[in-house]
Amino acid sequence: MVSISILNLTKRFARQTVLNQVSLEIEQGELFFLLGPSGCGKTTLLRHIAGFYEPDSGQIFFGPHDVTNVPPHERHTGMMFQSYALWPHLNVNENVAFGLEERSVPKSEIDHMVRDALEMVQLDGLGKRRIAQLSGGQQQRVALARALVIRPQVFLLDEPLSNLDAKLRLEMRSEIRRLCKQFGLTGIYVTHDREEALAMGDRLAVMDGGKIMQVGSPMEVYRHPANQMVAEFMGETNLIPGTVGRPCSREGLHDVETAAGVIRGRPSGDDFIPVQGQQVLLSIRPEALTFGLVGDTPNRFFGHVASATYLGSTVQYQMECAGGVTLKMSELNPMFLREPDGEQLRMMVSTRDVVILRR
Amino acid sequence: MKAGNGLKALNAGLLAFFAIFFVLPILTTVKGAFFGPDGSFSMEFVLEVFANPIYGEGLWNSLWLAAWSTVGCLVVALPLSLIYVRCDYPGRTILNTLMLLPMVLPPFVGAIGVKAMLGTTGSLNSLLSGLGLMDSSQPIDWLGHSQMLGIVIMNVLHLYPILYLNVAAALGNLDPTLEEAAANLGCPPLKQFFRITIPLIMPGVFSGGTITFIWAFTELGVPLVFEYDRVTSVQIFNSLRDLSGNPFPYALVVVMLTCTALFFGLSKLLFNPSATGGGGGGRASMGREIKKLPASTGTLCALGFLSVIMLAVLPHAGVVLLSLARDWYGSVLPADFTMAHFQGALGHELTLRAVSNSLKYASLATFLDLVIGIGIAYIVVRTRLPGRQFLDAMSMMPLAVPGLVMAFGYLAMSREGGWFHWLRIGEDPVVLLIIAYSIRRLPYVVRAASAGLQQVSPALEEAAQNLGATPMRALQRITLPLVAPNLIAGGLLAFSFAMLEVSDSMVLAEQTRHYPITKAIYSLMASLGNGPSLAAALGVWAMIFLGVTMAGASILLGKRLGTLFR
Repeated sequence: MVSISILNLTKRFARQTVLNQVSLEIEQGELFFLLGPSGCGKTTLLRHIAGFYEPDSGQIFFGPHDVTNVPPHERHTGMMFQSYALWPHLNVNENVAFGLEERSVPKSEIDHMVRDALEMVQLDGLGKRRIAQLSGGQQQRVALARALVIRPQVFLLDEPLSNLDAKLRLEMRSEIRRLCKQFGLTGIYVTHDREEALAMGDRLAVMDGGKIMQVGSPMEVYRHPANQMVAEFMGETNLIPGTVGRPCSREGLHDVETAAGVIRGRPSGDDFIPVQGQQVLLSIRPEALTFGLVGDTPNRFFGHVASATYLGSTVQYQMECAGGVTLKMSELNPMFLREPDGEQLRMMVSTRDVVILRR
Repeated sequence: MKAGNGLKALNAGLLAFFAIFFVLPILTTVKGAFFGPDGSFSMEFVLEVFANPIYGEGLWNSLWLAAWSTVGCLVVALPLSLIYVRCDYPGRTILNTLMLLPMVLPPFVGAIGVKAMLGTTGSLNSLLSGLGLMDSSQPIDWLGHSQMLGIVIMNVLHLYPILYLNVAAALGNLDPTLEEAAANLGCPPLKQFFRITIPLIMPGVFSGGTITFIWAFTELGVPLVFEYDRVTSVQIFNSLRDLSGNPFPYALVVVMLTCTALFFGLSKLLFNPSATGGGGGGRASMGREIKKLPASTGTLCALGFLSVIMLAVLPHAGVVLLSLARDWYGSVLPADFTMAHFQGALGHELTLRAVSNSLKYASLATFLDLVIGIGIAYIVVRTRLPGRQFLDAMSMMPLAVPGLVMAFGYLAMSREGGWFHWLRIGEDPVVLLIIAYSIRRLPYVVRAASAGLQQVSPALEEAAQNLGATPMRALQRITLPLVAPNLIAGGLLAFSFAMLEVSDSMVLAEQTRHYPITKAIYSLMASLGNGPSLAAALGVWAMIFLGVTMAGASILLGKRLGTLFR
């Protein structure tokens, strides 16, 4: 249970820079997510923390200790691999006991701890099974028990749920989070599934092209994306180009002239102060748009339904607005479907839900 | 895919082919071992093999030869394959290819070179007496005292590539995260190797080891050339002269076959995939990072590879020298060189006929292999016909059955008065040799063809049928062209091995005018005058030939060449 500091980590494979001056602070006991599209460097970063790669430059600290050049077997991390990496020549008990044996824990204690660990992941009684005799979900639990039985100071997870079906995945999400919190583990979890990160993470970092794009709580990152990449990666959004207009009377808000009219929003990040005439992008999430009335906002769009997709809990509309702007919007718990009949409708969005991004 | 009647007929035909030309010869031999000339059942012949001190010693020697040869191969192959898979060093790719060189150098030809170098008047003794380390009037008989050692060394130098390929493949397929998981849980590198890596590559080590062991156990050519007759294979060969009515050769063959089968079964039992949880180390889930060695260690590794290769080539270098020497007697290197033997070898009545015989036998055998191999591969990969797994297993069995046993079986099966006597047209062994050659090398063709078919999606063939091609046309226009490189490579391998097949040739070709190359080399060696030189020259021709075909096969198959020997 330590904090982790990563300082200016850089790694090149052949000529490609996979990690580019990456710095991160991960607090003690938090479940931290590394999120990004494939090839963004998130797994590479995790493998640096585990010690499987040595960086070209930069440092990694576990608490006060510089572990940059410590070999993996001396780092005392517990890792869950995407492929589970369970040893096929050892049975379930032997797999789980392995790390304890390497730590020279007395035999009697090992038996006890292995039994507890299997009970913890609800696999009691399956200790004598061969790995090949287990289902994917059971193998996943063995991998979890094997990584946690050694009480690691850092718990590393490399897309552990990507090989499971949807229902099991939901179950394991809460399971993993519960165990992390129960043991007070510092966890680093790599995934490309944004829902997983939003649902489970205390904080998350979005990566792209070997760089950290944004670090923050799930809500911060979703609602206040730092740039276009984060805005698009974290969920569906409408991106509308525009030009910054006159400064707005209200603190921190700016008016932006777009093809669909003047829209008022707030800039992404504290360090971004738009100036008049600057080209910017507006990001508006589909669920922030409403046909209802929103007080305290001048933001209005007028358009007609081009198409409607019914998804049960929501309905998604494609709206054709003035100036050739197309907006995606979604309505929760729809009672009826609006037909694409050309009727002009009004949509509103709160100024808090309009993010001005650099272009 | 729906199987038509044609395929069903093919399936039945192939099964019948195996029954007649694989199972029946073995059964005939077994029967001959248990039933005396008067037709009564008796265990005495087989028991006599163990009771007779000469046969007993031969069997014991064969087992020791095989065991030491396998250990030797392991000692050479394990570290080198580990270095190859894990590290980068100068010349890595080219050295890896050269490691396979011994496969194309027939050990039985190499043994001629060894005799030239290690004989009483050979290079080594000349060198030793030249340096004053040995009294030239009392030369050391290296081969006389330690024929066993000579044979083991020849076997190791010839067979290590089989283990090297198997172990390298097992290591390459090992999922690196399995070792990383151990490191992550606190296991230091060396211990990882023994706790994780070794147990997981054991199936690969054993499948290679089994082939090596069986090969060495039944090797006939090398001990023959070394004139070492106290091994079972040579005893069987020598007893062939009085086959009629003598049940002992049968008994010897049956004992040899039983030993082979026992060992094969044992290794399957101990190291079947499920014993390691199925699939060994599984497929690699991610690429392994190859460690770049520092210049000094890297050079050392490269030198290690190079010295093994040099050592393996040395006997054959001896053959080349012998073939070029005008006179090589009592000196380190031949005093005078000549090309006369090459011309002699091509002009000699025996050799010329032998070459044409071999070409005839080998090309017909290859053709048969291709027809049968494509058929089997197609049925196994593309259909759900009953008996296809059996067919698949059968087509691999010749790897486990000694060539000598098969050759003996054909001989026994086609004896006068038997049902299959007509296979010996007159006294011409052509049909028997072709069948023997093709059965022996069928596994390579089947492997090559199945590998090719597995890579070609059936949807491609279905698309052709959808556009109006009959199944046969689709096969011909789409599938066969796509698997052609595999077929050519498998065919080349089958062909070149058939050209240098030893045991079948020795046993089945009984008259001089039917001799193939290998038997011609053997009989030339025993003849006086320039016989050995001619034999060496013929051997060099054979090596050049084999080298060219293997190079062709490896270019066509690329990296997959290794999969043919597993």
